[in-house]
Amino acid sequence: MADINPLLPVSSSDGSSNLTGQATCRRPIKVVVSIFFGLLTLGLFAALLIRNNGPVDYVDVHENERGSLASTAFEKAENLKPVSRGPAAGVSEKSNWAFGGDLPDYPWNNSMLSWQRTAFHFQPEKNWMNDPNGPLFYKGWYHFFYQYNPNAPVWGDIVWGHAVSKDLIHWLHLPLAMVADQWYDKNGVWTGSATILHDGKIVMLYTGSTTEGVQVQNLAYPADQYDPLLVHWVKYPRNPVLVPPPGIGPNDFRDPTTAWLTSEGKWRITIGSKINKTGIALVYDTKDFINYEMLDGLLHAVPGTGMWECVDFFPVSETENNGLETSINGHGIKHVVKASLDDDRHDYYAIGTYNDRNGTWIPDRPNIDVGIGLRYDYGIYYAAKTFYDQNKKRRVLWGWIGESDSEAADVKKGWASVQSIPRTILFDKKTGTHLLQWPVEEIDSLRLKGKEFNQVRIQAGSVVPLDIDSATQLDIIAEFKIDSDALDKATGSSDASFDCVTSGGAAERGALGPFGLLVLADERLSEQTPVYFYMTKGSDGNLKTFFCNDQSRSSKASDVDKHIYGSLVPVLRGENLSIRILVDHSIIESFGQGGRTVITSRVYPTKAIHGAAKVFLFNNATELNVTASLKTWQMNSAFIQPYPNL
Amino acid sequence: MNNTVSFALLHFAFCFTLVSFTPISALELHGTGANMVETTCQKTPFYNLCISALKSDPRSSGANVAGLAQIGTDKLKAKATATLRQITALLKVAKDPKLKMALRDCADYYNAIVKYDIPVAVEAVTKGDPKFGVEGATDAANEADACGRGFKNQPKFPIYASNKVVHDLSAVVASIVQLLL
Repeated sequence: MADINPLLPVSSSDGSSNLTGQATCRRPIKVVVSIFFGLLTLGLFAALLIRNNGPVDYVDVHENERGSLASTAFEKAENLKPVSRGPAAGVSEKSNWAFGGDLPDYPWNNSMLSWQRTAFHFQPEKNWMNDPNGPLFYKGWYHFFYQYNPNAPVWGDIVWGHAVSKDLIHWLHLPLAMVADQWYDKNGVWTGSATILHDGKIVMLYTGSTTEGVQVQNLAYPADQYDPLLVHWVKYPRNPVLVPPPGIGPNDFRDPTTAWLTSEGKWRITIGSKINKTGIALVYDTKDFINYEMLDGLLHAVPGTGMWECVDFFPVSETENNGLETSINGHGIKHVVKASLDDDRHDYYAIGTYNDRNGTWIPDRPNIDVGIGLRYDYGIYYAAKTFYDQNKKRRVLWGWIGESDSEAADVKKGWASVQSIPRTILFDKKTGTHLLQWPVEEIDSLRLKGKEFNQVRIQAGSVVPLDIDSATQLDIIAEFKIDSDALDKATGSSDASFDCVTSGGAAERGALGPFGLLVLADERLSEQTPVYFYMTKGSDGNLKTFFCNDQSRSSKASDVDKHIYGSLVPVLRGENLSIRILVDHSIIESFGQGGRTVITSRVYPTKAIHGAAKVFLFNNATELNVTASLKTWQMNSAFIQPYPNL
Repeated sequence: MNNTVSFALLHFAFCFTLVSFTPISALELHGTGANMVETTCQKTPFYNLCISALKSDPRSSGANVAGLAQIGTDKLKAKATATLRQITALLKVAKDPKLKMALRDCADYYNAIVKYDIPVAVEAVTKGDPKFGVEGATDAANEADACGRGFKNQPKFPIYASNKVVHDLSAVVASIVQLLL
């Protein structure tokens, strides 16, 4: 009988094998079993081999620990793909700051780095800062607290820094207000807000990260209400006053707001959180800031926006030009809900209507709801918080401005982050859809020598230098007039897709833009930061105006952010285009159309520093001539320093 | 019949032995621990590296995403510290001035990674403000990248492999921490 299966043992003649004598049904079983196990074995071998020949594994990479200068198996430095700093949502990798990614890092020297420090923006003497906390006005002083790392120029070991000022500009540093000395804030004395009670007393609610890493809300108050400097603070002995409620994660419960009065005479606060990917604002009522009742409903929620940090809630007048105390409600009043989105590190706001009875709020325009519509600032700006300034009857906005250089540079220079210049916030009566932000008027007191330029004609495709002396501490207010003929003649295109962020920046020439100013530019324009308008005309003949800030050529250094920031800015009939820019070394704050659209950026030039920095007007449009009139002022330092003789 | 049975048993025993010597991870078909690691690693840019880094730590089975993030940062810290030691050792014997300069720059970058970036990432994850963790890990990737760029015009890049692992693992950790937002 032929041996049909090589795996079967050849029948031996020892008599133990009686295979050949078996009935035919036995042989198929043996065959099947053998084939089965045979295949299984082969399969396992194959799996083993494939696994070992796969892409380089972590465990396999222990090339010789001594490295090897003599090794012949060297590799040329591959261009490792750099990773954009911060959440990548909405930002394409190709436009990250590796524009000059093939060049070695710029060797920052002390002159360049020390120049970066601002002259009139709030920043501590060294180390890391982030969110503004508990701003308030009390007994003649503006108080500012902030998230601070006393030990390093990176985030960590967070405590509350403190400073005071008479005018929101000249700040004096005070000792740390609160440190992480209790179990309920051992892992972080995080963001909080102040409420001023009927009798003028102050209560502070803030988030603590406990020894277990749970986020809770704590109460603190001044140790001495008669001390106008509010140097010492006391924590309520039976903190925390709030812990994450059922259904809310222990890491999704932070940044309590200033309280406002309900029509029942209770105090109400809101705290941001999330449920899955829906950003929400929880609401609590309290009479004593110690015992709270959580409302059944939410103030508001928007799906897909993720965690809401630093929620803010405040009224604005539709008719008056002053700010409103946080508890004000009634006719002619709208309420703003603002959230800092953890997912994309931007601050969003929406205007709507508050219902006091059930503690809810609905947006006027749901299509631009919180987190999916308007931003306070289209540049680098986060964790913003307002307070009502009862001294001058205005609502004032603070915002944290981080760094957009490399963290290695931050370590080298020993500090990171500044605050924006405080801004007043008003409802924009003209559009009805936007808020207006404007630097507080006290900043004008820093203006030194001024220069005026009237009716400067900027032809299409030209650059006009402005003869001002120093250009690193400047206040510029500029107005641009355009030929309405040129606007009418321009052909509309169906290309409705212009967006500052995805555009080619100020080098991308359109019929009606870009035009504006070049700041922190050197004479040869090898480094420049354009702040500009870009107009487009749709096929329906409608004009759209964009306000942008282009960092792509702001520095020769390859390790700084090179994105282009900006957004649509509403321009009403009869309005001239206007820009205000505050230049303060490595920060530029630019306000379009009176603060309807604002962009803050950090700029780190290597050449356009000190005396080499200049300002130019430019018009890179192809079919538009522009006439500019502007005023520029040198800005004095604010001499921010420790409070003397404390 | 006996032969059939013994033959089958022999095959079975053989296969069973093979199974026990093959790393379990290649054969696990179910179990929430393995799934969590796999699904998490799928969301990172370097899947295989992520899998080996996490699975080489026994804590990874049964860990949640925050736990995996912590394991990832531990691995990253170990690798970055080892690479820094490598760089220091190389600096002692290097003679070529250009090579020395590139190595010195890398030492700076790795000091930043070990002293700042990784502690920030660890603190952010354990204390519950993950966005700073994403930034810390991303910074580490960028520092490693910067170190590599310094060798662009050099004929030899002795720490190429270690540096690549630090870069890639940093990117992996950044992606994992991002999931906590």
